[in-house]
Amino acid sequence: MVALPESRVRGSRPARGPVRRPRRPSAREAGTALLFVLPFLLLFALFRFGPAIAGVFLGFTDYTIGGDTSWTGLENFRRLVDDPTFWTALRVTVVFTALSVPLSMLASLGMALLTRRAFRGAKLFRSIFFLPVVTSLVLAGVVFTWVFADGGPWSRAMGALGLPAGNWLADSALVVPALVLVSVWSRFGYGMLILLARMQDIPAELEEAALTDGASAWQRFRYVTLPQLRPALFFVAIIETTVSFQVFDMIYVMTGGGPVRSSYSLVYLLYDQGFKYFDLGYASAVGVALFVMTIVVALIQRLTLGRDK
Amino acid sequence: MTDTITPPATAATAPPARSRRPYRVGRGGRGWLVGRGALLLIGAAVTLFPFYAMVVLSFKPTGPVTFPDSLLPWPFSTEAYDQVIGAKSMLRWMWNTLVYAVVSVVGVLLFASMAGYAFAKKRFPGKETMFWSFLAMLMVPYHVTMIPTFIIISELNGVDTYWGMIVPTLANAQAVFLMRQFIASLPDSLFEAARLDGCSEWRVYVSIVLPLIKPILATLGVFVFLWHWNDFLWPLIVGQSIDMRTLTTGIASLQQENVPLNMLLAGSVVAFVPIFMAYLIGQRYFQEGVSTTGIKG
Repeated sequence: MVALPESRVRGSRPARGPVRRPRRPSAREAGTALLFVLPFLLLFALFRFGPAIAGVFLGFTDYTIGGDTSWTGLENFRRLVDDPTFWTALRVTVVFTALSVPLSMLASLGMALLTRRAFRGAKLFRSIFFLPVVTSLVLAGVVFTWVFADGGPWSRAMGALGLPAGNWLADSALVVPALVLVSVWSRFGYGMLILLARMQDIPAELEEAALTDGASAWQRFRYVTLPQLRPALFFVAIIETTVSFQVFDMIYVMTGGGPVRSSYSLVYLLYDQGFKYFDLGYASAVGVALFVMTIVVALIQRLTLGRDK
Repeated sequence: MTDTITPPATAATAPPARSRRPYRVGRGGRGWLVGRGALLLIGAAVTLFPFYAMVVLSFKPTGPVTFPDSLLPWPFSTEAYDQVIGAKSMLRWMWNTLVYAVVSVVGVLLFASMAGYAFAKKRFPGKETMFWSFLAMLMVPYHVTMIPTFIIISELNGVDTYWGMIVPTLANAQAVFLMRQFIASLPDSLFEAARLDGCSEWRVYVSIVLPLIKPILATLGVFVFLWHWNDFLWPLIVGQSIDMRTLTTGIASLQQENVPLNMLLAGSVVAFVPIFMAYLIGQRYFQEGVSTTGIKG
């Protein structure tokens, strides 16, 4: 979950400014206000703030449920670096993200452009494209397991095209691409809606002007629409990267991380270590690695895609 | 694609106005319209195919599933539904999912709107610090906080209980953020008037704030319901016994027990129908929620 730039939030207004009155709040006013905040504050302290700190802290311990806990320093991270499973999970997660984010954004952009203008049925198409977004990936995973099964629709279609047939989910080289396809199916509707919302805000004059100047459709897209979409694309890229880094549900249902760990993601490793082997300290170290990755990639995206002018 | 954003130099001098004229189709003309129609139809077919397969295959008698003839609506059988709905655990999972989703929606909306109101319209010490720490926590991946949260819940004997599953999800900082943004846009005079009439703060909240924020309550409520209905990892680790599974974790467990495909899919259809109905009825909230707040689907 990412906080949006304020301008995109309905009814937003700068938080600071002339509205704020200079006088200090009376004790009574502050008291009632705190009572309104208190329930959420307690929940937040106990189940978000505390655990966020503790989650990082645990990464430096050998915590297991019911056992003694001691500070082990960087031991977990040393173990992580020496653990081939971690490198496998990291590779799978990075490859999955590197494929699914651009592909899903491409599909988002394409469908947003196609349903951009009001025409009969435009709304229906948008609703159809958004439907997978509200569908659980567990349920979708059950169907897609059949779609990819040997002799199923996908393997037949690939066979007909002369591409590798057979069950992609059972093929260590093709399992990640198969999962990427499911991820694109499930996510592109979200990006499409974000991009459409932004497209509605692009002044029509800009494109009219380009049209008058004889710009081709491609030139209008490349030099008028695309630059205007940049903040929205940046936003979608961040969200989709975060979602992809955390891929778990569909892998759990469709492949169980297999064959031979070729679809084993970081969150899967975290789940196995924490809740199958109850090595919660080590699992937390995996969580810290995921955290660091998320921040690094967000910074890189900020510096490239999100750069102003 | 960094700094090539120089629009054609003449753009600034081009004649203004005419902006409300229907969009002129470029040089492509009719060909473009046909091409667009074809691409959209292909896109829609690919998007809908898994849903079609899910429904059609769930109405098959148990047995080998062959392609492509299995995609025909016959032979038709409700055998899978009889077995799935007849199974006691499936009804139990549906109930668990409903409790998890509905109680969480009520809790999130209540606590987030109360906090959002205070953050938007009240002054109290520590306000800015608290609010920014809420936002900062949105950066921390859920999975980092999930492990300590599980430890806390299991220390409090909350594993395999409804409250253990629900209570941690009520700490939804994004909901507070959206509430605050919405309430901040309402004029202060609305609240001042009630206060001058001698209404208590709680009274102001119940009879002035809540009615005014119905739109954001609806939008947020729809999404919180959706997240919880589809949630998987948290229910998987907290609801460990068969009786405490939700529809998603229950169906995943059936799948690992090699239950026949038609029954898995019948279960999936049963789990999907409530969300589908909600989507049909509340489409506006889903789609506007995404376009106006960027809320994650």
